[in-house]
This record gives sequence, structure tokens and C-alpha cells, in this order.
Amino acid sequence: MLTPALSVRRLRKSFGSVVAVDEVSLDVAPGEFVSLLGPSGCGKSTLLRTVAGLVEPDGGQVILAGEDITRVAVHRRNLGLVFQSYALFPHMTVFENVAFGLRRRGVGTAELGPRVERMLELVRLGPLGARHPRELSGGQQQRVALARALVLEPRVLLLDEPLSNLDALLRDEMRVELKRLQERLGTTMIFVTHDQAEALILSDRVVVMEAGRVEQIGRPEEVYRRPATAFVARFLGRANFLAGTVAETGATATVVTLDGGGLSVVGGPRPGLVCGQPVRVAIRQESIRLERPGAEAAAPNHCAATIVFHAFAGQAHHYVAQLADGRELEIATPGTTPPLTRGSLTHLAWSPDDVIVLPADAAGPARIP
Amino acid sequence: MRHGHGWWLLAPALLLLFVAFILPVGTMVPMSFRPYVPLVGITGGFTARHYVKLVTDSYYLEIIGRTLGLGLIVTGSTLVIGYPLAFFLARTRSRWRSWLTILVVFPLMLNLVVRTFGWIALLAQNGLVNQALQALGVVDGPVKLLFNFVGVFIGLTHIFLPFMVLVLIGAIQNIPRDVEDAARVLGASWGSAFFRVTLPLSAPGILSGSILVFVLTISALVTPRLLGGPTYQVMSTLIYDEFLQRLNWPAGSAQSLLLTVMVLTLVYLSSRLARRTGTGA
Repeated sequence: MLTPALSVRRLRKSFGSVVAVDEVSLDVAPGEFVSLLGPSGCGKSTLLRTVAGLVEPDGGQVILAGEDITRVAVHRRNLGLVFQSYALFPHMTVFENVAFGLRRRGVGTAELGPRVERMLELVRLGPLGARHPRELSGGQQQRVALARALVLEPRVLLLDEPLSNLDALLRDEMRVELKRLQERLGTTMIFVTHDQAEALILSDRVVVMEAGRVEQIGRPEEVYRRPATAFVARFLGRANFLAGTVAETGATATVVTLDGGGLSVVGGPRPGLVCGQPVRVAIRQESIRLERPGAEAAAPNHCAATIVFHAFAGQAHHYVAQLADGRELEIATPGTTPPLTRGSLTHLAWSPDDVIVLPADAAGPARIP
Repeated sequence: MRHGHGWWLLAPALLLLFVAFILPVGTMVPMSFRPYVPLVGITGGFTARHYVKLVTDSYYLEIIGRTLGLGLIVTGSTLVIGYPLAFFLARTRSRWRSWLTILVVFPLMLNLVVRTFGWIALLAQNGLVNQALQALGVVDGPVKLLFNFVGVFIGLTHIFLPFMVLVLIGAIQNIPRDVEDAARVLGASWGSAFFRVTLPLSAPGILSGSILVFVLTISALVTPRLLGGPTYQVMSTLIYDEFLQRLNWPAGSAQSLLLTVMVLTLVYLSSRLARRTGTGA
């Protein structure tokens, strides 16, 4: 494997009695887009600021392209950082904002002008160089902040919730723009966000954090479809959680008997589970299919249910279905399907591949927001 | 708010402004053009000689120059002493912060005359400061620290420092930390980030703090009178003497109006400057 563009080794940081970053290790490959995802206060921003050098770690190392920079001063790290608040210099023009870092590096006027202009073109702000930041919209200001960081060709670009201050429509636009920019320039990027959709859409890999620790690192499909912990399962997407006990394990399937008796759920093979072990089963809302009653499917997981709630949300229909034992499941079906009315009898079915089986850890439910 | 209604909220303040400022200043304008005959008093007629004297007589010109010079120097010294203090107080996360701020404001809670007499005790010929200087062998004999520029300068710097610090704390706290951090990440050393980002962004506070201290200094009466003595005159002590010692109200009025015009001009220019630089004070 190539030398990672950035490595973090057992990084620790506490503020008083609060552990903000707890023994975090992470490798980021050159050109990779990695998201740090978690709720506010999970330590993702502190981790990013520690990498930038704005926060001094209590222990651990930050290694940039093989070089230990843990004790290197902020202004000598040659990293880019984009803030949620944009943090533009209000007393300078857009041009001067972008030129700031180049001037600090002693880049001569002859080279400086064209480099700034080229970068402004790249972020589609070409004609606005003479404006002041306050004369720009939020999206334009964020593009200035991007240009200001990228013009220095940083070894790694750190982004601290850069899209969170933008309204929904602009945020979607900027996401696409950011991703294209990253693909075009090949810059390694570490992106902090609390927005799971943003993390899934943008990233090559997602690092899910909670209470200063890494819960899971994986590709977007991995963390979404195969969450390692209940926290990850709850934080990404919406799922139905059911407590139960492992009844059978095997090479092809795992069977879990749900608490309260009667119902069993069949999942894919899960090595490491033993019979009698208490577990929690998670089934995503959109994994559950609604089938016409009477069409007794041969599916391993199916049960009769009554629709007790329906709402249309554009892209999807949201349902709550009640099973015979009174248990309720949340279901989302594509918005293009014909809706079922409240009180309809239906049949629920889901594939064993979509069943997530998690060890029932004691800490799990307490941390669920 | 419906059209016009909000203006009533200004009525008490406008009334006060009228009774306590516009009315007295208005009556001083005709007074300043009345002739004054020594031993006789104010007579009828019209003369501009009080103004002519103010801008031609070297005695008055020296006092005007001294007043403005004192204003500049006191403003400069409160700025130099106050900025680092305000920067520390605005940025510290220490739990002593509120206590330190109270310490800065504390001098304002003491009576001005008491504070000034305190300085007299300290700065006198055989006062604490002179004793200390001689004991340390810095000087041979006592230094004259009272009833001259030095005494007035020390006293005024002391009493106006809290105003400067309080204004600057507000201005520095308004600068987002992210902006400074951004400068650092972009390759600016601490000093470079301070001089290129923090200091320019605290300009509105520097401007309003300076105007405040300057205006307070050139119109201060008690401190220059007590620490400057009867011979070290500034405009406010001159006006005081003109009205109450010499009973020359016309000359006193002319001097008062000049001081008022100087202050108003300064406030106007500073607000123009603030608007032009877009810093908005």
C-alpha cells in the first residue's frame, strides 16, 4: 500500500474531565475522500482541529505523508482548513483572501495574480475578485473559503462542516461541486459532518464516531448495510430494532427468536454468534416490502400486518404496520408505488440479506439519541 | 411598527438633550459676542474679539495646543496599556476572568476626587514615588511629578484606562476565533496573523475607544485642576477660571463653544471614517 497521505495514531485529547478524542487511529490514502461522521460533541471537530494543529493533543501522533507533524506549528503544516463559518477575512477583498496564504509563502506578484485568478475561475467566482466577502451570498463565501485553501495546493484539505450553514438546495449543489473539485484536483480530503446523507454521498470511506471513539470505518455501503454497532445502525438511516435470542446459527443462515415469543427472523450467516446469545435485530425501513395479502410468499421472513399510519413524503411513503402480537414496524416504500390506506391488511416481507444482527451490548440503548 | 409611532420613544431623551445641551449652548452663543470691560463687567454691544483672541493670542493658543496634545498622548497611552490587557481579557478562558474584569472597572467605583488626592500623595515631592526612586538610586533629588504635564498625564491615563479597555474587550470579542485560526492555518505566524487580521479587525474598537478617551481627556476638569495646579492650564480649567474667578462670561462662552465644536467635529469625522472603512462604529 502507498504511504498514507495522513495517519492518525492513538490520538487523545481531553478538555477537563471530558474526553473529546479517545485513542483514535486512522489512515487516509492519497486522493481519498474520508468523512468523519457523528452527532455534535462526538469529537470529530476536535480530531480535525488536532490534525490542523489548532488543538494540541494529549497523546498520539499525526503523520503527514510519513512525516510526524504532531509538534509542528500550525502555520508550517501546509494543510488546508475550511470552516463552517467560512472564516473569511472581512476587511480584505475576495482576491486578497485567496492571495493571503500565497503572500505568507512569499510568492511573487508575477506568479500570485494568475494563480489566484485561476483558482477563482475553478470555483466559478472569476469576476468577483474585487468584492468584499459581505457582498457575497453564503454559497459564494464558502467557495471563496475553498479557493483560499486550495490555491496553496495543500497536502490534505480538512473541511469542518463546510455545508452546514447553507440552505438545503444550495447544500445539494455545493456537495456536487465539492465532489467534482475533489475528483478533478485529486486532493485528499477529510470532511467533518453530522449529516449522514452528506457523508454517504461524498465519501470514499466513512468514519463513524461517538463519544470520542471510532465506532466503525468503512465504505458508505458497508457502514449503512453492515453497521458494526447499534449506534451506527441508528445513526445512519432509520431502522426497526427488535430484541431477541439466537436460535440457530449456520453456514447459510442465522435464526433469531424475538422476545415475547412467536416470531422468528432469518438473517444471513453471522460467524461469531452462538446459540442462546441475546442480540438485537435491525431491519431498515426501506428493506421491508409490502405484499398483497394472500400472496403467501416463499420468503423466509414474512408476516401479516395492519397499516396503522401512512404519510406521503414525496420520495417515499412512510407507514407504521402493526403485527398480530401488537409490535409496530416502520416501513418506507418508494413514492411511486400505489399507497395503502390506514386499516389495510397487508403482508410484510424482507430478505435475510437485509437483516442486521447486532450483539446486545449493555451500552447500546443508553447511547441512542 | 406603524408609521411615526416609534418617535415618541425618543421624546424623553430629546427633551433632556434640549434642556441640558442645546438650550445652554444656545444661550452661550449670544453671550460669547458680548463685550467685557474689566472692573465693569458685561456690557451691551457686539464684538468678536473673544474669538479673535482665542486664535491669535499665544497664551490661548498654547493652552489649546496643550489640551489637544494631552488628549493625543493620554489616548495613545491608554491604547498601548489597554490593548494587551483587553486582548488578554477577551481571549482568556481562565475562571478568574470576571474577577480581572472587575479589577479593571474597579477604579471607576471610587470617587474621582479621592483617586486624584491619592495620586497627589503618591507623586508629591516627598511622596511614595519620589521616595522609591531615590531609594533605588534612580535619581539624586526629588523629581517634580506634580502640578505639571507628568502629573496630569499619569492621573488622566489612570482614570480613563477602564473606558478604553472596556470598549476594546467588546471589539476583540467580536472577532471570530475562526478567522484568526484561518490565518494561522494559511501560513501566518502568530505575529503576522495578529497584525494582518486581528488588529485591523479591532479597528472599530480602537477608533471608538480613542474618541471616547480623547473627548473625555480634553474636557476633564477635576484631574487637571488638582494634579496640574493653578498654573498648568488646559481648556476646561481655563473656562472654569474665566466663568468663576474672572467672571468674564463672554470669554468663557467663546472658549466653551470652541471646545464643543472641536469635540463635535471629532465625533463627526470619526463616524465618517468608520463608515468609509466599512467597519461601522
